[in-house]
Amino acid sequence: MSEILQVKNLKKYFKTSRGMLHAVDDVTFSIEEGHTLGVVGESGCGKSTLGRTIIRLQPLTSGTVIFDGISTDDRRMSRSELKAYRRNMQMIFQDPYSSLDARMSVSEIIAEPLINYGVYRSRDELWKAVFELMDTVGLARRLANSYPHELDGGRRQRIGVARALSLNPKFIVCDEPVSALDVSIQAQILNLMQDLQQERNLTYMFITHNMSVVKHISDEIIVMYLGVVVEHASADSIFEHTLHPYTKALLDAVPVAELGAKKSRSFIKGEITSPIDPKPGCRFAARCPYAADRCRSETPELRELLPGHQVACHLAEELDQST
Amino acid sequence: MAKTILEIKDLAVQYVTDEAVVEAVNHIDLSLEQGESLGLVGETGAGKTTTALSVMQLLPDVSARIVSGEIYFEGEDLIRISPAKKREYRGNKVSMIFQDPMTALNPTLSVGDQIMEVILLHNRISREEAKNRAVEMMELVGLPGERFNDYPHQFSGGMKQRVIIAIALACRPSLLIADEPTTALDVTIQAQVLHLIARLKEEEQTSLILITHDLGIVAETCQKAAIMYAGEIMEYGTVEHIFNNTAHPYTEGLFGSIPNLNRKVSRLTPIPGLAPDPAALPRGCKFAPRCRYATPACSEAEVPVYEIEPGHLVKCLRAAPEGRSGDE
Amino acid sequence: MAEQEIIVKKKSQFRDVLHRFLKNKAAVISLFFILLLIICAIFPEQIAPYSYSQQNYSETFISPCLAHPFGTDNYGRDILSRVIYGTRISIGIGLVAVALSCVFGIVIGAAAGFYGSTTDNIIMRIIDIMLAIPSILLMMAIVTALGNGAVNLTIAIAISSVPGYARIVRASVMTEKELEYIEAARSSGATDLKIIMRHILPNCLAPIIVQATMSIATAILSIASLSFVGLGISPPTPEWGSMLNDAQSFMRDHWFVVTFPGLMIMLTVFAFNLLGDGLRDALDPKLKT
Repeated sequence: MSEILQVKNLKKYFKTSRGMLHAVDDVTFSIEEGHTLGVVGESGCGKSTLGRTIIRLQPLTSGTVIFDGISTDDRRMSRSELKAYRRNMQMIFQDPYSSLDARMSVSEIIAEPLINYGVYRSRDELWKAVFELMDTVGLARRLANSYPHELDGGRRQRIGVARALSLNPKFIVCDEPVSALDVSIQAQILNLMQDLQQERNLTYMFITHNMSVVKHISDEIIVMYLGVVVEHASADSIFEHTLHPYTKALLDAVPVAELGAKKSRSFIKGEITSPIDPKPGCRFAARCPYAADRCRSETPELRELLPGHQVACHLAEELDQST
Repeated sequence: MAKTILEIKDLAVQYVTDEAVVEAVNHIDLSLEQGESLGLVGETGAGKTTTALSVMQLLPDVSARIVSGEIYFEGEDLIRISPAKKREYRGNKVSMIFQDPMTALNPTLSVGDQIMEVILLHNRISREEAKNRAVEMMELVGLPGERFNDYPHQFSGGMKQRVIIAIALACRPSLLIADEPTTALDVTIQAQVLHLIARLKEEEQTSLILITHDLGIVAETCQKAAIMYAGEIMEYGTVEHIFNNTAHPYTEGLFGSIPNLNRKVSRLTPIPGLAPDPAALPRGCKFAPRCRYATPACSEAEVPVYEIEPGHLVKCLRAAPEGRSGDE
Repeated sequence: MAEQEIIVKKKSQFRDVLHRFLKNKAAVISLFFILLLIICAIFPEQIAPYSYSQQNYSETFISPCLAHPFGTDNYGRDILSRVIYGTRISIGIGLVAVALSCVFGIVIGAAAGFYGSTTDNIIMRIIDIMLAIPSILLMMAIVTALGNGAVNLTIAIAISSVPGYARIVRASVMTEKELEYIEAARSSGATDLKIIMRHILPNCLAPIIVQATMSIATAILSIASLSFVGLGISPPTPEWGSMLNDAQSFMRDHWFVVTFPGLMIMLTVFAFNLLGDGLRDALDPKLKT
């Protein structure tokens, strides 16, 4: 097993009128080839920015990303460099409505990356490839001339998947790919993505706010809060041995479709703020029921508490023992 | 026995466009007792919101048409009362919470004024009294009264949804309809808002219709559930009936589609196919084309509703007394 | 098999647009009317019954009759002939000016909207300055600087209507570029130019078409205003706007001297608007039925 993506000390700041927004603050992780890394968190935690920065849709403020041997950092990349860097990575977007150009037909949308990279020399080859992709994701060929607005959400998301697969990438950033879909369709797309992963040895970075979905699909999980990673472990370990109070709160808040599954609920109070010029200290401290003085003054480092299980909380040991 | 406050009988609603007639709600029956909470579950286009808008009498005049049915609220048929009476009843006796808290508030009025407006509209009291009531409502939903003069943009999503709940409850309605009240919110905020709705319902003895696509929310908040598909109620019963004695293949399919936090499955079992085009619904059982138990009989004629245990209604041939015995 | 389907596809796309356009009767009639005007503009000599400058003082102010269907003016010139010759200036300059300003406006508006920050600031400040000057004054200044004549008039009108396009295009580009499909295109290796041309502009078409059809009307009226102050087309070359102006003093006694040129302006503007609406709908696949 080799690591296909390494992210080191990645930072992405945005200038706003109220100060510097630390959207992604010093994030380090890596993904092994053929694995799925789930990134969970609530809106504004920086998970989407993280994905977009890795794929260089936005430049990064500092840090390094090494993907498949090619590295990128805060310097400007030329068009050809970017093209080479992105050749093997793709993205699947959340909104199956706004992520497809309404004025292009299904086949044109799927063909676009192939045309941009000049993969096929003849039109025949190109369209043959497009039709094969449509077969792969379960879109009937007769839909080739349809426009996205004529199709339902599930089919549209299949177009998005086909477009992402067209260049035969090794790595796909999936930004909430099923959040906008109905549950029965959501399950179809999740299964499709899992099948494709097995067939093609794909690596996914799966960004979502849905704890059940992330548990279902991920090998490893990162939990983010206000731009920082608060917990990072294998999927099993995170759910069976939750260490960070925020992760616990997230899990508690998820309604479970089972009677009597009701846990004694410990709500966290308050709401997410935005990480503008954050002061030192734990960013979750303001909402954390256990926060001590130390939490408000000293930034907790991500440290390995259990084998392969990292957590950024001063009190993790004590809390772990008390529960 | 509690008194029934809402009774929907044989309600059918169509949307008429230039090209087609869309059958959004097809002859549904529903009833709700005082203080009861009902979860209306279904996917996009199942007719949940149309049902809610019919109860509110807020269907768009131009395109929507109530084809048949009666909606009795506290004994009066809402479809046949005068427009003035409808206005009187909306917001006062029945209120609705909409999905998107970001757009449901007027950005140019302070939140306090918006709460006050509803109170003044339905009560003959002085502005002073109304203001006091509004502050009271804000505190009830967990907003500090000092923020009376703040504008919506100064509130976060979860707090805006609290303001909307305050507006909805300002006149102490006997029925509250919440249309996906937490879909636009984060999970931790969702938990807070759902908790708030449940608490207020308890305190005020309000009846609640909660529209959602999330079976988890139903399990935690509701006493009864109705599963809708293609404008019909496929299964109806208490949450125990629905969750522990699932009878309809569609409900079963929904459960198979959601990854469960408490159990590990390597593969989901989704419902194959797509929801039918509401402008061209199949004959017989609307779910038959996607149903794995479907037999030719399912598509032949309208499927009757069977009561398989007291209060547990299922619209499926497999639930027929003889069908069940033959199947097992 | 693939090849076959693709041929079908390209054809069907064009056919779809045509089909949708033809369904809109008003737009089709407008198109014919505009084609008629264009023919008039190209071959007035063949169509017009008289010369536009042929004066006849014994036949002034003749009411519409068989010989002069639109009547005659104060010099005894045939109004129908003058209206027909007038299309040459009104439609010709109008169309060319709109086309020019449209192209320039789209280019700078798209650049401002797409690149934002400094580019946007510089472009939009220049546009603001242009908008701060009353457009008639701006046109007068340009024509005075460049000199009289049809070409310079066209340039003046084109320049003064560029800001309108630039602002509209900028606004719609700014909304479109935030959508996920643009990010999708970028991550699939599309260049900026391709993103603008292939994705953003087609999706901004609706407001551009509306603006273009509206500005044809403005252009025709601008020609008239400039002619009125003596900076446009010099008499006796006929032009609808100046025909209206010239006839002002007689309009109480002779209705036809203003009615026909006025009617032509109105019908032309109306036709362009209907055509624009038809085109906008036909080009939008979302409205496909």
